[in-house]
Amino acid sequence: MISPTEEDFELELRALPGVVNVGFRYSEKGDVDAVALVAHGDHTGIVRVQAKQIIALYYPDATVSVEEMKPVAAPSRGAAGDAGRVVLVRAEFNSHEGFCEVHLNVNGRVAVGRSENGPLIGGAEATLDALRQLDFDIPFYLVGSVNVATVRGWPVIVTLRPRANEADRHGIAQADTELISSAKATLNALNRYLSQLDNFG
Amino acid sequence: MNNADLSLTELPVTPLDANYEPWLFQSMIDELATNELGIGFIYTVLEHLAKRYDLTDAVVVLEHDVLTTQEFRLAGAAVNADHAGRLAAAPGVYCEPDIVPPIELDAVRTACQLALSLHMARFTSATDALTSISNRRTFDTALSNSAVRSARYGWAFTVVLIDLKDFKVVNDRSGHDVGDRLLRHFGLALRQSVRQGDLAARVGGDEFAVILNNAEGHEAMGFVERLRENVLRAGESIEFTTGTATSPRDSTDPAELMRIADARLYAKRGIIHR
Repeated sequence: MISPTEEDFELELRALPGVVNVGFRYSEKGDVDAVALVAHGDHTGIVRVQAKQIIALYYPDATVSVEEMKPVAAPSRGAAGDAGRVVLVRAEFNSHEGFCEVHLNVNGRVAVGRSENGPLIGGAEATLDALRQLDFDIPFYLVGSVNVATVRGWPVIVTLRPRANEADRHGIAQADTELISSAKATLNALNRYLSQLDNFG
Repeated sequence: MNNADLSLTELPVTPLDANYEPWLFQSMIDELATNELGIGFIYTVLEHLAKRYDLTDAVVVLEHDVLTTQEFRLAGAAVNADHAGRLAAAPGVYCEPDIVPPIELDAVRTACQLALSLHMARFTSATDALTSISNRRTFDTALSNSAVRSARYGWAFTVVLIDLKDFKVVNDRSGHDVGDRLLRHFGLALRQSVRQGDLAARVGGDEFAVILNNAEGHEAMGFVERLRENVLRAGESIEFTTGTATSPRDSTDPAELMRIADARLYAKRGIIHR
């Protein structure tokens, strides 16, 4: 927990017009030795002057940098692009009933996809099932889901094949369980497809 | 209406995550309320979240009437511009990896919003908005506390009243923008001149007051000299007059100390104070 004085110091910087974020770097002795601010472009000049004055009162030796905030990025195009971010809420394997469940959330809408296969294949199938329940048009079917041994563990690679005559799409992810890896690898494959649409569309 | 008219999709009910603890949100609110925590609490909550879910990064984006969009990132790091640009449009909590249940993200966001609002409310109620030094209310409380300690333990402190000369003329001739800039610069010069533990306040339109703790006459003189130098350094040519009163030598009553300092200030200006 930072001290009340430091909190007021930070709040005073945040109250400068146009400031969006403030970051600190501390020396080995624990003093602030660098302050970085992010501010809207048309305010960076005045923010730099006023921030230097305030920071000099507390930490005379600290360096000050003001970073201009870039314009808001355009949303991704494609099946999921305008609909918001897909959040993997949870993924679990019900060993009693023998099925996988993947819970996804998009803008507060929740869907639970299910598959009666094991974690490796079932994770990918359940993810695609949940996405379709959320009304995404997924122009792929699942070809395979495999895990591979690496020096860093066992990542899962998911391969999706388009209905049209195009190249397969691959996604890769590594998480605590095979099921979560499989679900995330499926989302990764779709995200890579969407990013390619952005780049070449 | 019959059932065929209903086109609502029944959403599946998501059970709470096995790791979700219902007391978490309540404990955050309790801590905020009892300890008067500020924005430092936001970083504590983000650290808690990161530890709980083994996150590599977490950002909370909040909205505030006065501060507008504010972002807080794990470990107090400034968000780099590209990332900030995307986040700035959407208040919420963003985690990497994206594995925290929405119900917990909502609790975190609400607690962080509360922490920011509480801190800002305390800050604005104690601070003069134009000069960013303490306001009259904070000064009165501090003066009262110092006077009590001085009466009980004999600890000395000095009150300095400061009056800007011809400020009204500056305002009338050059406009309020110039007047406001002058007041801001004077406030900054005051902050540069006081020692740690002293208190500088704007107590009227162009009137300022300072409490110099553990200080008597010659230390007050030193402060006034520093103030003159810092005002000049700020590029302002405004003159000012000071009046001082020291406790317990002059009095230990806050109102009496203010009256004595005020009388000395006006005596210096050669004005009969009624």
